[in-house]
Amino acid sequence: MPRNTAISPESFDEILDWLDPDREMAGQKYVQLRHDLARLFMWGRCADLEGLTDEVFDRVARKVHEVKPTYVGDPRLYFRAVANNVIKENFKKTRTYASLDEVDLRPQNPAEIAENTEEREECLQSCLQQLTDEKRKLILAYYAKEKQEKIDHRHELAQRLNISLENLRVRVFRIRAALEKCVESCLDRNAQPK
Amino acid sequence: MKEEILTEALLRQFLLGKVDDEERERIENLFLTDSDAHERVLAAEQDLIEDYLEDGLNAADNELFVERYGQTPAQQRQLRINKSIKDWALKESALHESALSESASSTHGAADKTSAWARLRERLRLKPTLVIPIVVTAMIVIVVLTVWFSSRQEARHRAIEQELAQLNTPASLREVPPNMRSLDVSLLVLRSVENETELKKTAQAEIFELRLPWSRKEHYTSYRAELIRVDGDEQFTIPNLPGSGDRNSPIRLRLPSQRLHRGHYKVRLTGIKADASPGLSEEYTFAVSE
Repeated sequence: MPRNTAISPESFDEILDWLDPDREMAGQKYVQLRHDLARLFMWGRCADLEGLTDEVFDRVARKVHEVKPTYVGDPRLYFRAVANNVIKENFKKTRTYASLDEVDLRPQNPAEIAENTEEREECLQSCLQQLTDEKRKLILAYYAKEKQEKIDHRHELAQRLNISLENLRVRVFRIRAALEKCVESCLDRNAQPK
Repeated sequence: MKEEILTEALLRQFLLGKVDDEERERIENLFLTDSDAHERVLAAEQDLIEDYLEDGLNAADNELFVERYGQTPAQQRQLRINKSIKDWALKESALHESALSESASSTHGAADKTSAWARLRERLRLKPTLVIPIVVTAMIVIVVLTVWFSSRQEARHRAIEQELAQLNTPASLREVPPNMRSLDVSLLVLRSVENETELKKTAQAEIFELRLPWSRKEHYTSYRAELIRVDGDEQFTIPNLPGSGDRNSPIRLRLPSQRLHRGHYKVRLTGIKADASPGLSEEYTFAVSE
């Protein structure tokens, strides 16, 4: 669960300034850093990704006055070091994940699943409509094949677009990430009481 | 370039938590500070998620994946969204290709009148993800059903043989149960001049006792009886049928009425020598009617 952080406006300003002297860039880096730290926590098998990300910013905020003047290098590495400590402490405090044996992987109420699937499909269709034709076609082409077949298919696709396979993957990743975000927001909106 | 040292394989190991702390730190630092590395890690992650959704991970990697990507409701939702995107693309592409192939075949007209079978094959070719599991599942079902049916038949056969053996132990043969009918059965060699013995199944006759004459000079203390259905493929063996004790008395074989079906049966009786080897044989025949 995300918590209300106790960062003072001064500390927050100082963090932003440390990330980038340009305020707009700093804002972008801050948002990106939050996402990236949450991912580090996910890779570290932590459950409360948002809460632990807040914890990192809380801790940095408490130290930023001392650290910033003397720190050499990319400040995001300092955040990573703090995140690493948080992961270790989190492990000590509690088992951050249940073993597979303990997780109830049985499906929920079938009616609920059907409803979720239907909602998800509706949201996906609506989000696909928001993509440009070019992007929609690219994501359709990229995911058109599965397993072994997809490898050759994607090579052909990259050749057709005259880009490297790596670039194709990254391009598709960006579209898919935006699509995913759109579907999530749509599902969240639908879940809100009307 | 820094990201060049991030190979696909290494990133996959990292994402599944299979690298040491030093390597993990190096990759995480690159992930946070190098935009190219950042995107490569995320693209590798996307490939990993795809493999998971396609059941392409081995059991160990699957477990490591679920520990990282399938624990929280939010992660599970993301996986479902990913699956929806993939499913949508697969469905759309199959529809698109199918429409293309249909329009192509109609353009070619009579010259290209592909058979329904060819069109079906074409359609199936478009969805190997659907066809392969169906074929594999069908094969598994056939094998399982065959094994199940065969083991069921064997079990049934064993049960009947046990029932027959039980009915023909010396102790059982000493008793005369109610609802039993005794009949003399002719030797096969004599049947041409005599009428075939007929067992008529009735509610009153639960057990038939066949009295089998032994015409050989040599007598045995026990016999093996084989009950063979002439117009079927059923054959049951009663391995230890006691001899009559009296050279002139027939050997008795009891059969439960419910195990006999309308048709012709043959009984082959073989003497068992003292060293347990088979001795002389005689054959008998009878018919069952309802």
